[in-house]
Amino acid sequence: MIITPHELQLWIDEGKPFTVVDFRPKVQRRESPLSGLNAVIADADTIPKCDGAMVLVCQFGIVTEEIIVEKDLDDTFSLLGGIQAWEAFQNEKQDMSRWSRQTVLSEIGLEGQKRLLNAKVALVGMGGLGCPIAQSLIAAGIGTLKIIDGDKVELSNLHRQPLYNIEDVGRLKVLVAKEKLKQLNEDAVVELTEEYLNDDNGLNVVGDADIIIDATDNIQARQLIDQISKEFGIPMVYGGLYRYEGQVAVLNVNGSPGYSDLFPEPPSVNDTCADAGVLGMLPGIIGHIQALETVKLIVGIEPNLVGKLLVYDGMKHSMETIEL
Amino acid sequence: MITVKVKCFSQVKYALNKDEVIFELDHGTTTDSLESMIRDNAKGKLDGVRLRVAVNRKYIPEKIELKDGDEIAFIPPVQGG
Repeated sequence: MIITPHELQLWIDEGKPFTVVDFRPKVQRRESPLSGLNAVIADADTIPKCDGAMVLVCQFGIVTEEIIVEKDLDDTFSLLGGIQAWEAFQNEKQDMSRWSRQTVLSEIGLEGQKRLLNAKVALVGMGGLGCPIAQSLIAAGIGTLKIIDGDKVELSNLHRQPLYNIEDVGRLKVLVAKEKLKQLNEDAVVELTEEYLNDDNGLNVVGDADIIIDATDNIQARQLIDQISKEFGIPMVYGGLYRYEGQVAVLNVNGSPGYSDLFPEPPSVNDTCADAGVLGMLPGIIGHIQALETVKLIVGIEPNLVGKLLVYDGMKHSMETIEL
Repeated sequence: MITVKVKCFSQVKYALNKDEVIFELDHGTTTDSLESMIRDNAKGKLDGVRLRVAVNRKYIPEKIELKDGDEIAFIPPVQGG
């Protein structure tokens, strides 16, 4: 069983009896002393016997979860996110434990998570790419997600747009998406634009974002996003699909190449997913790569796809990265 | 003569029905003339499709002369999302 820092604080406030057992090595105990908890020191071989509930703590809450499962301990809880999450809760009264599986990554950590929580991302297009992007960004803790699309859910969308159900057919995608996304994280701010991005609304809709994600299905929209992205210095995460292939690039970052550098000519004869066909998994894969690149940009993780075009082939499962 | 490998993406792959094509070319052949050969091989299926060129995984905005062993990719913009 697990307990979050918030729940543990409630136990303390209610005066519930419990014993805290600290499983961290001496070095970690010295570097990050427990604040507000009197702990018994132990290791996995010397678990004390206590009356009442035990709360096991380690640095990130992973070791203690394993101990509880391995030893089949009753009435014993692992502190989710460990001391890292407990200290953040004590210092800032913010429970970060739900993101403990990603804050344990040294490249993310609590600082990275705070950047995600403070980030504002504009997602243009709530179709095949937009659905997985929105789901994974909201789940990752993006603070504000602006979703922009004037389209309504159609029956033929459902095989690749997992935010929508059969009951949603005919409803505006952004309205349905907001309902589903709020279920994933009720604290996230989801702002809606119930129309397509165009020359008139473009700057107003995406101009205040930290990053603009292109999940559209037409090149004209991509060119408009690129134009705003380049002019106002807002990075653009591009994704596109053709049958079993997808492309991803991170564009216009501190003067790095943009979409117009990659494809400078006017739109050519081309196919949408409706024309060319697409399996639902392909936008899932490409959308998640776009979301990953977005998180890397916000947190500041390298290497990334800035100045590169990634081409994924879903038939051979091969990837090519081309330097722009 | 030089030998180069062309890697085919999206519409190019479907137009040629191949992932890769090996070309034996005269010395001095440029990316532009190789693109013309690809379009000829596609028998009209690439008409109207704009292609960008990468040589050895580096995007090339203007035509260059090819060298023996080069790997060339012709990349169309893709629209779906």
